[in-house]
Amino acid sequence: MEQTVQKGAYLRGIRIPRGAAEESPLTRREGACTGQDEVKVIKTACRACIANCGVLATVKNGRVVSLRGNPEDPMSKGRMCAKGLSGIQALYHPNRNKYPMKRVGPRGSGQWKRISWDEALDTIARKLMETRKKYGAEAVFCSTGGGGNPEIWSIARFCNIFGTPNWFEPGCAQCYLPRVLAYTMMYGGVDPSIADSNALELYFPEDTPIKALVLWGTDPSYSCPASGGGMVADLRAKRVKTVVVDPRLTPDAAKADVWLPIRPGTDVALELAWVRYILDNKLYDADFVMKWTNLPYLVDAETKMLLRAKTGGEGEPDTFMVWDKKTNSARPLAYPWDDALDPELDGEFMVDGRVCKTGYRLLRERCEEFTLERAGEICQLEPERIEKAIRVFTDNAPSGLAIGVATDQTPNSVQAAMAAATIDLLMGNVERPGALLQRFRTSGCFDMPNYPVPVAADRLPPEQLKKRLGGRAHKGLGIWWAGHPSSILEAILTGKPYQPRVWIDRSGNKLAATADSKRWAQAIEKLDFIVHVYMYPTSFSAYADILIPSEEWLETDMLVETCNTLVARQQVTHLWETMDETLFWSKLAKRCGELGHEGCAKAFDAEYMGHDLPYWDSMEEFLDHWVNRLGMSWKEFAAKAPIEYLPKDQWRSYYVYQQPDPKNGGKPAGFPTPSKKCELYLESMITLGRTGKPFSPIELEPADQDYDPLPYYLEPVESPNAEIAKEYPLVYTGGRVPYYHHSTLRNIPWLREMYPAPELWIHPDAAAKYAVEDGDWVWVESLRGKTRAVAKVTAGINPGTVFMERFWAPENLNGPTHGWQEMNVNLLTKATAPFNDVVGTYTLRAFQVKVYKAEGAPEGVWLDPEDFRPWLPVPADPTQEVRA
Amino acid sequence: MSQYTFVIDADRCIGCKGCQVACKLENTVALGPGRNKVCTVGPAGVYPDLQMYFATVMCQQCENPACTAVCPTGACYKDEDGVVRINRDLCIGCGSCRRACPYGCIQENKELRVSDKCDLCAHLREIGDTPACVRNCAGGALHYGDVDDPDSEVSRLLAAEAPEHIHTLRDEGNGPTARYILRRADWVDIRPQDCVEHSAHRKGGRGR
Repeated sequence: MEQTVQKGAYLRGIRIPRGAAEESPLTRREGACTGQDEVKVIKTACRACIANCGVLATVKNGRVVSLRGNPEDPMSKGRMCAKGLSGIQALYHPNRNKYPMKRVGPRGSGQWKRISWDEALDTIARKLMETRKKYGAEAVFCSTGGGGNPEIWSIARFCNIFGTPNWFEPGCAQCYLPRVLAYTMMYGGVDPSIADSNALELYFPEDTPIKALVLWGTDPSYSCPASGGGMVADLRAKRVKTVVVDPRLTPDAAKADVWLPIRPGTDVALELAWVRYILDNKLYDADFVMKWTNLPYLVDAETKMLLRAKTGGEGEPDTFMVWDKKTNSARPLAYPWDDALDPELDGEFMVDGRVCKTGYRLLRERCEEFTLERAGEICQLEPERIEKAIRVFTDNAPSGLAIGVATDQTPNSVQAAMAAATIDLLMGNVERPGALLQRFRTSGCFDMPNYPVPVAADRLPPEQLKKRLGGRAHKGLGIWWAGHPSSILEAILTGKPYQPRVWIDRSGNKLAATADSKRWAQAIEKLDFIVHVYMYPTSFSAYADILIPSEEWLETDMLVETCNTLVARQQVTHLWETMDETLFWSKLAKRCGELGHEGCAKAFDAEYMGHDLPYWDSMEEFLDHWVNRLGMSWKEFAAKAPIEYLPKDQWRSYYVYQQPDPKNGGKPAGFPTPSKKCELYLESMITLGRTGKPFSPIELEPADQDYDPLPYYLEPVESPNAEIAKEYPLVYTGGRVPYYHHSTLRNIPWLREMYPAPELWIHPDAAAKYAVEDGDWVWVESLRGKTRAVAKVTAGINPGTVFMERFWAPENLNGPTHGWQEMNVNLLTKATAPFNDVVGTYTLRAFQVKVYKAEGAPEGVWLDPEDFRPWLPVPADPTQEVRA
Repeated sequence: MSQYTFVIDADRCIGCKGCQVACKLENTVALGPGRNKVCTVGPAGVYPDLQMYFATVMCQQCENPACTAVCPTGACYKDEDGVVRINRDLCIGCGSCRRACPYGCIQENKELRVSDKCDLCAHLREIGDTPACVRNCAGGALHYGDVDDPDSEVSRLLAAEAPEHIHTLRDEGNGPTARYILRRADWVDIRPQDCVEHSAHRKGGRGR
């Protein structure tokens, strides 16, 4: 049966009469059930953000009635946060996308018609095939991000198999990838991002010897309260000292031993001051730096490449040159170390008529400008305070530096991550007990990082890979096989180098999550066809042609690794015709195969796909494959999970680099880098920029300029020290609040009643200057646009900086703004150059704004708790899985 | 005698407000003010030398509760375990208790037209379970137990603490039994009902 839903009705979905349910919807309504209640408690894992906190879900007669933390979870330890606890309001939200829908009016009209899954998949697949035939597969692009039970690799996999090199995330180069890249290349282990569920050493406060923790641009109390937030609270309680680098007085900053309220975007200047101070005061771990970093190695000052005595054989690193003090000559240093040599750490030498410097010398030269005083000027910090912070870190070994997302959001992103890694590695804070940088064991149950879906990178034809938008300039994106959002945006707007035409997105709200969203709205008008896959309609849905209903986390199955345990996120219930997005892409590939796409058809052939796994017809089939490695089926596993796959002490494998490597004559295994040492002088950046190696399977055209092997400081393109500051005097920064993840959950009554609109944090001095009082609605304006927020006047922010978090207003979805134009900080952000050279990061923070009083709140925005009543949950009975 | 109450380690509270949602979920509390509230205290001081902490406030389980004293029907009473409770069958919704509470910790249940307050999740304690806010507290800040029992967890927590680090909300003769532990900042004498947690609620709710 087809049901036409008119404008207005669409966003409230297809209403189910509520009646008595409204008062106490979850515990009192018994529905049609009679007789004995069936009550089950199911162990699952939350996915309201990217943490996977253990959850016990109580299900009564098929309906989820209660959630609580699972104490078995080694990270969240039975705790849950506001986002996770709101899972029931998200699941039973009256405006869920319940069925596939097709637009029947003009774009933005809000006129939709329910269609079958078969029709939806067929319509999309035909459009994809037609576009591929006429314009090439690259005219199709896909995107993810924005939160909401994300599963990143499915998108990359589908694109590779379909043959388009273009998928992107508004995160990626702006969130996490710069850190993954830097730490992977510099020491080959896991980065220390707490909000990405790393720094696992810290979750065992009873054991870890860490004495000082630096939280740099990260606020676990806000970003992941139940896991990281609780963990840091545990560490503080056992007197671990903390330093917080953040323009905002976050809860973690308030509790820190030293708070450095840095000017946004100047992190690398501060980091280089830390490096300089550590070097000049010889606070580094001299033995580790000499024997396990490449800083003593000689670098040709002109070519910037390391001097090599010989190329390594199978399993061996190349042999590099050092300056031997005993013989006063350049000598090859046999891996891992040669006691006969006495290498000079710091120096400049002539070798075969060429000027060579040690890596150490080059690093020290790079820091030369950044005295404590100079960093103080740049970063708006007192030099004594910087010194005190460094001393907390260096005088309390073992220590660790957890770098967060803040530095990923300016064009200086990769360098900030490289400098952070440099600081920890200089101190030898790696692979020893207490260090954040570790290579603990994993279950081996799946091969990809974070999510089991194999990306099938080899399936993308090389000629298609070369067409990746932004792929030549920003080759660091290759570590995630991703495209560059701004290059895709420019291609849509200009048709150069070719015209993208079809967009499939699975994410919260692209118009709330991408920089300079006004230009994205212009780009949308140029597209032939748009599909939005999500749990509920967002501003982006208003512009789509097809809406696909995806599952809330309480409806999904997924295999999750949490420390030394394997967890089953379990389908606790299933509602309407929603589908797991991990399954959706498989269904779409199948339909493309049936319509003649050879690669998509072959993607179901086990022999052809090999380790990339053939596509699956059900989540059970997909998950069976991985847990079969444990000798179990998914059903068996889910009944037992969580399971401990290794005892804690075996799982925490310290000093992996010192383990003998049988493939290399029993020498220490070293680090998984080309030299097997920690590469503080990151020569492989040069290779990456020239060829795309080691991430690209083929050699790509070189970038316009070599990538720099050492971190460099880049002053924000819009700076308070520049002309622009006369008109736009304040620096903008963003950051988390604990109620929302990315652009999700703005439709949840429990959360919106606490945090109904974005606050703009402004220092009392600035507030006085610009005639703004606490509680005033204000305009925040940049060169690119303006938007509104509520002023929060607080001393807890750098006086030259204002803070505002992303926001959109689902209550206005049917209005002319579609909810993204009222309170959206991404109307202000910058999607154009300068980009980070390596990964293309654009400017999400550290740009200039002005703030002035507004006449009032935006039209139609809900602020009072009672306003959110229409969004109270409407319980629904479970339905069968969709058979599409 | 026993006196069940909360002991709140404010140093551990990370201001995430998960306890507010945990309480609403567990106790089916309507939209609007809930049974508990995280108050942000500060920042105080001169930038950048600032202090800020979080104090979760809920019924303080007073020794001499102002609310029970004014209740005309006996609906609001102090139970044998020291917990102040409201018998919904006796409550006539007159609001006397709400006006009497010096901390604004009693709300109106508009649907049932009765007063509503924290009872330390009495229904959970009866089955040996823990109050929802305590169980879900991300920072491990919330503790509950019998402060009259020297062997209880909360008594041991308090005994281990220097007396100058143990605080109560302002005592107006009602004798609040809830205790706050605070070491990292100076205690500020706040009235919870004066704490505006979101600036949009600063000017009468609509922020105009």
